[in-house]
Amino acid sequence: MNDKRYSARFRAVDALLIVLMILPILFGIALYILFTPESQGIEIAGARIYFTIPMPLQPLPITESQVNSWIVIVSVFFLCLYLTHGLSATHPTKRQHLVEWGIEQTQHLVSDNMGEFFKDFAPFVASIMMLSALSSLLTLVGLYPPTSDLNVVGGWALLVFVLITYYKFKCGPIHYLRSYTEPVAFLTPLNVISEFATPVSMAFRHYGNILSGSVISVLVAAALQGLSAMIFGRLPGFLGQFPFLQIGIPAVLSVYFDIFSGLLQAFIFAMLTMLYVASGFPEEDYREKLKRKAAAKAGTQSV
Amino acid sequence: MQSSEVISVNIWQIIISILNLLILFLILKKFLYKPVEAMLQKRQSLIDKDLESAKEANAEAQSKKKIYEDKLSAADSEAEDILNEARRRAERKSDKIVASAKERADDIVSQAKSDAELEKKRAQSEIKHEITEVSTLLSEKILEREINKEDHRKLIDSFIENLGDDYDGNE
Repeated sequence: MNDKRYSARFRAVDALLIVLMILPILFGIALYILFTPESQGIEIAGARIYFTIPMPLQPLPITESQVNSWIVIVSVFFLCLYLTHGLSATHPTKRQHLVEWGIEQTQHLVSDNMGEFFKDFAPFVASIMMLSALSSLLTLVGLYPPTSDLNVVGGWALLVFVLITYYKFKCGPIHYLRSYTEPVAFLTPLNVISEFATPVSMAFRHYGNILSGSVISVLVAAALQGLSAMIFGRLPGFLGQFPFLQIGIPAVLSVYFDIFSGLLQAFIFAMLTMLYVASGFPEEDYREKLKRKAAAKAGTQSV
Repeated sequence: MQSSEVISVNIWQIIISILNLLILFLILKKFLYKPVEAMLQKRQSLIDKDLESAKEANAEAQSKKKIYEDKLSAADSEAEDILNEARRRAERKSDKIVASAKERADDIVSQAKSDAELEKKRAQSEIKHEITEVSTLLSEKILEREINKEDHRKLIDSFIENLGDDYDGNE
């Protein structure tokens, strides 16, 4: 193989990208270690505030959620550069197979769930999945998961709500307002409520799942500490202090709450985004409208 | 260091979160999807080009095959023609040779026959002459005188005539 992909320069760039990918996470860990005071027993609190910027309406605290989100974004940016480094149409590497597979999967997922009209949504859905999943997985390296902050997930849900409304508006405001009176007029209040409940439920579902995982993990760890103090407390010296029951058992919980639940919630959030946006969009009516417009245009042109 | 509440709502944080998502969307679109899709398109065009050229090569091969097959069958029939022609010519030639040989043989036979006839005639006329001489001599001797030459000729001629008839009949 000819390939400049095996040259030293190429490998150096690869290594640099990997380092740049990991560096933000290390930076986050360092920040956490530097700024976190020693914990005193059970502690269930929100994100730590690094500093606060005075803003109109409400001061803006820069907390762990924001910083950790940026860490994820920077890491993903370098991950993208790493994955697309050395793409080749004729000699794909293992890395490239992985990228192609991933992209095809998201594109299939989007066109299966949303239809061909929305096939450009693939990068958006992928970014929701990645941001959500990687944010939740930050707990694996001991960082605060931004997804357990209501503001972060609420922002995403709001964006999704804007998208839903935008696509509902595609057939004009009258069509949009009329969609609330379906199937019967007296259900209008319920329709309005369910419309606004959508982003709220999405935000609270995601946020609640991740936060509850953290809370339960902390509670179980504390309980195990108490339990082992009760059982092994009579042992002499150091052995009496050591929380034996905290070995292993929290790891099992972590597999569920940090990995499984995090990935599942990311998937659910992305699925709900796709389904809400696609089902809110009146595709048939929109096509008809386009056809009428095209016909009208042709009519004015012929005149 | 203080922490925020477990449930707190902050407009700016929400806006930052929205912007974060949009930024990540743009990053993924520009740095992941676009290059990969461009690469896939390039690959597709390469495949299309290969298929196209393969199709062309196939068509060319087919047409060449047809040409060669045509040429081959033409050559076959030509060879057949040449063979037939050669056979016909050989036959004609042999016929001619046989015919000329026969002619010559006939010629030889007829020549021989005419020669024989000539010889016979000559012999006859010789014998006739001899006989005439002898009979003249004999008659002179018998008659002791010379007979009229004219009479004598007639006589002998008639005699030979009869003799010849007898001779012919005996043959």
